[in-house]
Amino acid sequence: MKKKFASIVAAALLAFPMLLHAAPVKIGFINSITGKEAQIGENLTNGATMAIEDLKAKGIQVELIKEDDGGDPKNALAAYEKLVTRDAVMGVVGPYTSGCANVVASRADQYQVPLLVPAAAKEEITMKGYKNVFRLNAPANVYSMVLMDAVKAYKPKTIAFVYAATDFGVSTVKTAQENALKMGLKEVANEKYQQGQPDYRPSLSKVKAANPDLVFLVSYDADAILLMRQAKEIGLTPKAFLGAGAGYTTAQFAQQTEISNFVVSATQWTDDVNWAGAADFGTRYKTKFGKEPSYHAACAYEAIRIMAESASKSKNPAALRSALKAGSWSGIMGPVKFADYSGFTNQNNHPMLVQQIQNGKYETVYPATFSKKKLVYPFKR
Amino acid sequence: MLFLQPLLSGILTGGVYALAGIGMSLVFGVMNISNFAHGDLMMLGMYLAYFAFTLLHIDPYLSLVLILPTAFLFGYLLEKLFINRVINHPHQNQILLTIGLGLIMSNTALLAFTSDPKILTTSYSSSAFNLPGGISISVPLLLSFLITCIIIAILYIFLSKSSTGMALRATSQNREAAQLMGINVAKMSAIAFGIGTALAATAGALIAPIYYIHPLAGHSFLLKAFTICVLGGLGSVVGAGVGGIVIGVVEAMSSTYLSTDWKDVVVFVLFLAVLLMRPQGLFGKKGGQ
Repeated sequence: MKKKFASIVAAALLAFPMLLHAAPVKIGFINSITGKEAQIGENLTNGATMAIEDLKAKGIQVELIKEDDGGDPKNALAAYEKLVTRDAVMGVVGPYTSGCANVVASRADQYQVPLLVPAAAKEEITMKGYKNVFRLNAPANVYSMVLMDAVKAYKPKTIAFVYAATDFGVSTVKTAQENALKMGLKEVANEKYQQGQPDYRPSLSKVKAANPDLVFLVSYDADAILLMRQAKEIGLTPKAFLGAGAGYTTAQFAQQTEISNFVVSATQWTDDVNWAGAADFGTRYKTKFGKEPSYHAACAYEAIRIMAESASKSKNPAALRSALKAGSWSGIMGPVKFADYSGFTNQNNHPMLVQQIQNGKYETVYPATFSKKKLVYPFKR
Repeated sequence: MLFLQPLLSGILTGGVYALAGIGMSLVFGVMNISNFAHGDLMMLGMYLAYFAFTLLHIDPYLSLVLILPTAFLFGYLLEKLFINRVINHPHQNQILLTIGLGLIMSNTALLAFTSDPKILTTSYSSSAFNLPGGISISVPLLLSFLITCIIIAILYIFLSKSSTGMALRATSQNREAAQLMGINVAKMSAIAFGIGTALAATAGALIAPIYYIHPLAGHSFLLKAFTICVLGGLGSVVGAGVGGIVIGVVEAMSSTYLSTDWKDVVVFVLFLAVLLMRPQGLFGKKGGQ
């Protein structure tokens, strides 16, 4: 009899862990700690670590349960299911990659545990009307939109596209073409390339022969450096190089000042933007981890903060969902509000930033309300 | 300009491909082994050049003086320790062994150097000679091409004039007969594998300044090297040289006149056509293999 009573008590404790006031809020965090995306995953981990520390200082105790998906959607889904069933978390932040986030998002409504996607760009994730899926960062179509808005005032007439033959490359260029059409830009060259080639000169020569005002590029990591090197070699000088994220926003790229100077790119966050705490986050991050924070770090930081603050005031995942839906925040990612607009559900209409490399440093140049520096246009060697 | 520019860059890039193909062809000729670790040996060459540059501050092209003997020794030991055990075994065993060695190398590199691509930036990395007519030639690419030519010339003289070279060729023509003539074929195999490794590492080091350095970078070049070998005729050094340049030019031309998407299609259609008409490859000897 005693045994039975004890087990009932134990079961009750397991079922209502939130009733114990001293217990920290349990939040899951799915990230690419290993695998191909591990380099960026590390930035997210660092951002999360800082968020937990800052929350602790504010008196919010968080138990962050970290899961690794290795960049594989299968693992991401398994991690989400483990977090919601075995760990009984209030909410989940992550996963990082679009592929993983998209798969996990499709199950969030089934388990009714809110998922906050910090940095995945695929539009689809918040376009299916999922009630429990929230996204902090701007989706992929904003990349090209904000870049073209930034140069609109200078009245460019022609544009050329050079991009990797990947999901990200093709879909970004597709929306870029729509935006270019709206601006009245004429497309004069369209070069899709296979990644990892040593010689891009033939494609770039074709672009040079078309003499475009704008060259719009989508490339990953090192390809961005190779392309810009070979562009310099063959003397391709448009009025502006527009790099849509990825390879054009890394510290490694900025260090190649000879080829990267004045390249314009779109990003979710910079440390010189005038959002509250952004600069301070940048400095603290640099002292703590010894390197520049990427936008992923800021996204993870803010996502964990929003999730934990909302969760600490909510009794269960359903209440947390309402809190996320109703709330609005302002922090290092600027104003945050999860809204339904133009086909998106629970999507933060995050204002993306345009940055330009000036003397080896990324400087925010657009929109004017968030930036201190001005865009250098036309591009010069 | 739209014709000459890709032609030139195709020839120069093809020259570097050729060096990768020649090492593989030599190993196949002498040992009758398809070395699937060739791409990973190239990757090791890339990292050697990178570390020579960043840690010892040696120009990547000068560092070849160090890389060549190091890689030769490494290849020689690899042959003595592993490869010679499968030399008279079926092809599938040899392929498994070399693929395995390659996997160990690339994954060790992943562990040691992480998957962050490294970029080797020299003072002349993005400089070019401008020729009249708006044509430009990349300085590092031209240097890589010239060094490739010098190495091929030295290799050619070595193979045709020196007694070791002749012994290597004899082993390649007929292993048993060479042994009966008193040639130490086991030693020749080790030397051939050493030279093959040295050529692979050199090709890697020559590509390093114009490409990026990554633990898996060798894999894309392995397929190219293999195509070049078969196209030129397995075992033929001259064939591999010509094959490399042909592939470089075809790639550049098809990306100019068709689209970059189509260049691999064009390369492999051409490859199949050559094999249909000359199964032994462009310079291969009939009935050899």
